[in-house]
Amino acid sequence: MKEYNIAKEDEIGVGERIVTEIEGREIAVFNVDGEYVAYLNWCFHQAGPCCEGKVTGTTEATWDSENLTQTLTYTREDEILNCPWHGWEYDIQTGECISRSGVSLPSYPVRIEEGNIILSL
Amino acid sequence: MSQEVASPDVVGDELTIDSDVHLQIRHEDLVPYLDEPWRSRMKDSHTGQQPNDGWDRTVNGKFLMDFDSVQTAEDLKHSLCNDLGVDYPIINTLGLMSRNPENDWSVALMKAHNDFLIDNFLDVYDNFLGLATITTQQPDKAAEEIDRMASEEDIVGIYIHNTGPNPPLGDSFYDSMWEAAEDNDLNVAFHGSADGFMFEFPRQNQSLNQFIEVHTLAHPWSQMLTMISLIVEGTVEKFPDLRWAFLEAGLSWVPYMLFRLNKEYSMRRSEAPLLEKMPEEYFREKMYVASQPLEEPMAQTDLAKLIDVVGTDNILFATDYPHWDFDNPETLNQHLQRMFDPEDLTKVMTQNAIEMFDLTI
Ligand code: FES
Repeated sequence: MKEYNIAKEDEIGVGERIVTEIEGREIAVFNVDGEYVAYLNWCFHQAGPCCEGKVTGTTEATWDSENLTQTLTYTREDEILNCPWHGWEYDIQTGECISRSGVSLPSYPVRIEEGNIILSL
Repeated sequence: MSQEVASPDVVGDELTIDSDVHLQIRHEDLVPYLDEPWRSRMKDSHTGQQPNDGWDRTVNGKFLMDFDSVQTAEDLKHSLCNDLGVDYPIINTLGLMSRNPENDWSVALMKAHNDFLIDNFLDVYDNFLGLATITTQQPDKAAEEIDRMASEEDIVGIYIHNTGPNPPLGDSFYDSMWEAAEDNDLNVAFHGSADGFMFEFPRQNQSLNQFIEVHTLAHPWSQMLTMISLIVEGTVEKFPDLRWAFLEAGLSWVPYMLFRLNKEYSMRRSEAPLLEKMPEEYFREKMYVASQPLEEPMAQTDLAKLIDVVGTDNILFATDYPHWDFDNPETLNQHLQRMFDPEDLTKVMTQNAIEMFDLTI
């Protein structure tokens, strides 16, 4: 396993990301609420640059079968990564795809050492 | 003519012809191609080329409608040819004017789209080919435009937006248009849209709740309507030299529609008296269907079966670049490489488009 110094901690603010190339792979490092996560910038759908899409919330629904009512909520603000090619939604904290079951983005361990963001590959 | 000849890029080893590439023409760019009074209308009225249908394509802003990559020939060459590996894009302007209510305005837009396409794209690179947009409200005007476009060497067929034309396109109302296409050896590509849904299927447009419903139905419904109309009304017999392509509805609707029509035809043959063959035979001999947007069955083996039933003699490769449901050429190519012989792959990526659009490349 090799380690790569991606950036200084303060170079990726909360809600920001950088996309970099390591050993021929495009990898994105996100600062999610002060925690750093890293994913391959390669969408399971059609190989699009999923890590370059917008980070948003999403719409969820609950169904009350007693009263026959559906309630919509806009939720998980800043937790959903949307692939810019065709909109597949990924959970930014886990890399799990929420629009196609069984799909996850490959992820890489990231840690902070003396103010540097270190990624292991 | 050309400033630069593209060195053929390869997806796998195939020469890739993309049968469905769109422009997204900005209103201000059309102004110089319009005569008065249309020029002033486009400049000053703020109504644009057609009324807005109100549906949100962006999923509440989740993905951006960014069309910078198709605003110039250089941008398109870079993004589609260099980055995605398409060797020959067959470009249409995504002219939607066939669903507009105003006939003369639609005809003016049609001509402007075609002149814009030729000046700004087809005349720039040798590997750029195009389809002339034809609006259908006045078939004689359509025929005139087909005659005008026929002398353009980079125009390889005509493009008809078929969500909205009234009556359906096999009606004898359009015979002069099809005659002009046949006389000029320009085959016909149909392209539906969600944009015309409010005209073609107004009740559904007002009653469905989400754009996903509209978009899922709009393309196949329009293609089904057109295919049934062309076959049953005998257009395929009246204009025997024409070939027909159906873009942007994927593949799976074709077997369903044909097999159903085969059955109906044998029960009610006298209602389609011009036909001399089974409906399916007209498809196999004269029609093509574009791959995009390739359906996504849960099991990959089901996709292979579908492609097999439609037949690799009748499938055209297409990306639909730059729209939000475009297909990455590499993905389709990988599917096909896994599932089919090299000859089948060559038919889909290259050979069928050469036949459909009578290309010399
Ligand atoms: S490539 Fe990511 S959604 Fe299609």
